[in-house]
Amino acid sequence: MIELTEKIRDIAKKLLKDGTVDVFIGYKKGSVPMMNEPVLIRNPDEADLLYWDSNCGLNLCNYLTGRTDRIGILATGCNSRSIVTHIIENQIRRDQLYIVGIPCTGMIDHRAVNRAVGHREITDITESDITFTVTGKGFQETFNKADYLQGNCKVCRHRNPVEYDEMIGEPVEEQKGIEPYSDVKNIEKMSCDDKNAFFRRLIDKCIRCYACRNACPLCYCPTCFVDESRPQWVGKSIDPTDTMTFHLLRAFHCAGRCTDCGACERVCPMGISMRQFTRKLNRDAEELFSWQAGLSLTERPPLDTYRSDDYNDFIK
Amino acid sequence: MKNLLEHTGLEPGRLHFSWISSAEATKFVKVAKEVSAAVRALGPAKYLVKRRAEVV
Amino acid sequence: MGDKIFTKQGWVESLRGLAGDYMVFVPVKEGDMYAFRHLDNDTKVAFDDYHNTRMSPKSIVYPQSERMFEYSLDKQDPDCNILKEVPKTFAPQAIVGIRPCDAHAFQISKRNFDTPEYRDPWWVQRYEATTLIGLGCNSPRSTCFCTAMGGGPFDEEGLDVLMFDMGETYLVRALTDKGEAFLGKLNGGRSADKTDREAALRLSDHVRDGMPDVVPVDPIRNKEIKDIFDASFWDDVAFACLNCGTCTFLCPACWCFDVQDEVYGREGDRIRNWDSCMFPLFTLHGSGHNPRAKKFQRVRQRFMHKFKYYVDKFDDGFQCTGCGRCVQFCPVNIDIRDVLRLMSDEPPVRLSA
Repeated sequence: MIELTEKIRDIAKKLLKDGTVDVFIGYKKGSVPMMNEPVLIRNPDEADLLYWDSNCGLNLCNYLTGRTDRIGILATGCNSRSIVTHIIENQIRRDQLYIVGIPCTGMIDHRAVNRAVGHREITDITESDITFTVTGKGFQETFNKADYLQGNCKVCRHRNPVEYDEMIGEPVEEQKGIEPYSDVKNIEKMSCDDKNAFFRRLIDKCIRCYACRNACPLCYCPTCFVDESRPQWVGKSIDPTDTMTFHLLRAFHCAGRCTDCGACERVCPMGISMRQFTRKLNRDAEELFSWQAGLSLTERPPLDTYRSDDYNDFIK
Repeated sequence: MKNLLEHTGLEPGRLHFSWISSAEATKFVKVAKEVSAAVRALGPAKYLVKRRAEVV
Repeated sequence: MGDKIFTKQGWVESLRGLAGDYMVFVPVKEGDMYAFRHLDNDTKVAFDDYHNTRMSPKSIVYPQSERMFEYSLDKQDPDCNILKEVPKTFAPQAIVGIRPCDAHAFQISKRNFDTPEYRDPWWVQRYEATTLIGLGCNSPRSTCFCTAMGGGPFDEEGLDVLMFDMGETYLVRALTDKGEAFLGKLNGGRSADKTDREAALRLSDHVRDGMPDVVPVDPIRNKEIKDIFDASFWDDVAFACLNCGTCTFLCPACWCFDVQDEVYGREGDRIRNWDSCMFPLFTLHGSGHNPRAKKFQRVRQRFMHKFKYYVDKFDDGFQCTGCGRCVQFCPVNIDIRDVLRLMSDEPPVRLSA
């Protein structure tokens, strides 16, 4: 991890010095463990703030929207796919970007780690290739990283960046034998009432802080429908039906665009697995349209093209 | 849309999609009858129905 | 009434005995987090293992969504278009195990909701019906900075009763008449003696001395608003910000709300919901103009309100209690302590490293 951090800093310095980019977007080490902070680097001498480990779970593509300068950006597999989606949706131009690809072995699920140490306070985390060690007052424990990956990283099939100008290090081996949608299939087997109860329970802690929406690089509308008050499309209270409406519509807007980067789930202060909404849509996009978002700069997504053989079974 | 709504607990048979041209009056009548019969069979809706905000 | 000693089990049993007199809230574990919930016969009370609840207990006095008025839009109804206050009862309730920082926050909010000119009827009536039974913090987290905000792990401000966790027992001390009344209704316990009281004092002194005092706040008081407002660091502070409501909704001292009407057929409700300075609807004018339209302006508003506007207006403390929730749970790690250092012209710890 130290070597990768050093490489990122060197590349950022070089790009800023030789004028290839105006700014560089990466992560800096967080003030609390497992919480690294996205950072904008403007000049080479700030580049030593850059940091890399398995706690960089925010999607940096989120910080590209609306920028007009030339940007260097660090990108893992899912981040690079979100950048591709941004480009084909005309939110940023490819020639504005210098993408520094970084092969990814997954991000650590901070909630699972806190659970594993019985919610005692972790004050430090260090990492080697396949393990990480957490330290707190009176305890130190080492875990295998593979056992504590974020839910989306466990089922990831694109760990290597799909689009980049420069790659840091060798590509990593993609995970084999992944059953990407077993959770979705389990829900599909439920009765209608059980499904309803499952999703109501899923979001019953939601406080409508909109962290999930705001962490998502796909949510870039100038005004979100929940923030409109004239007309008021949806109630603003914590009424369960209004909350469900928000989650459903947020998910629908991600149909055929979501790269399952997991940022929505990672940032939720209440620990809600709202990926259960988007994952159903991802599965449908894959099953019905053979589509995974963000893999190609030239192919148009299924929801903005018409083909005579499009999936049609739901129409009578 | 139908898939996700049904995945999250909407009864199959409550939401219908159909292409009907303005010239297809008979098809319109047929589909409308089918939809109304299917929805009636399901009874009153429970999913995503808000009578009044559930707040204190 | 002097201090009393309860065994830990005896304390919970006594609290259960209050069922007819108070609605008692206690911390319970729910999944990965803690929340204040009603105490009933099978509640597993988490006094021993909890540090603090994820959401502050402010919602017990000030619910996230609250129906204020209802109205009819039916032209046949003689009361058509008349706002009617929703009838509510404010039965006595007690928050047992509230941390001193969160109790301190009610004193801060009181300045907003209970002023000589305006009294918010719902907040005030709920607050007055509430007895706050604090539990001193034996082991504050590294993200806690209550002492820098004028509080402390055993601070009494805003509390009616303070509990000291003495290992096997609680030493319980009434601080106000409300607290005396609450303890008067409790069965069991014995009077604390001099040894008990000295042990409690030693405990609280020891914990307080171990608190970090690394957050400088006094320089902000003496600076001009404009100098901080126009400082160059706001862009950098705000860069990572998602403009989500996590910090403001988890904050025990954030009090802003938004009022929205909801209409159902021929009737409607006027509901108030917690607002957040992070949201685009916040301070949006009827004209469509918003003086805080940009992300950095919203971020700046949060910190300026807590550490400058509030200070200049009330000249007594800050609109922050140092509970550390926003430090722990900001999804992008914007650390309020770092921002305070910038506002005081001191280099943030991370940047100077």
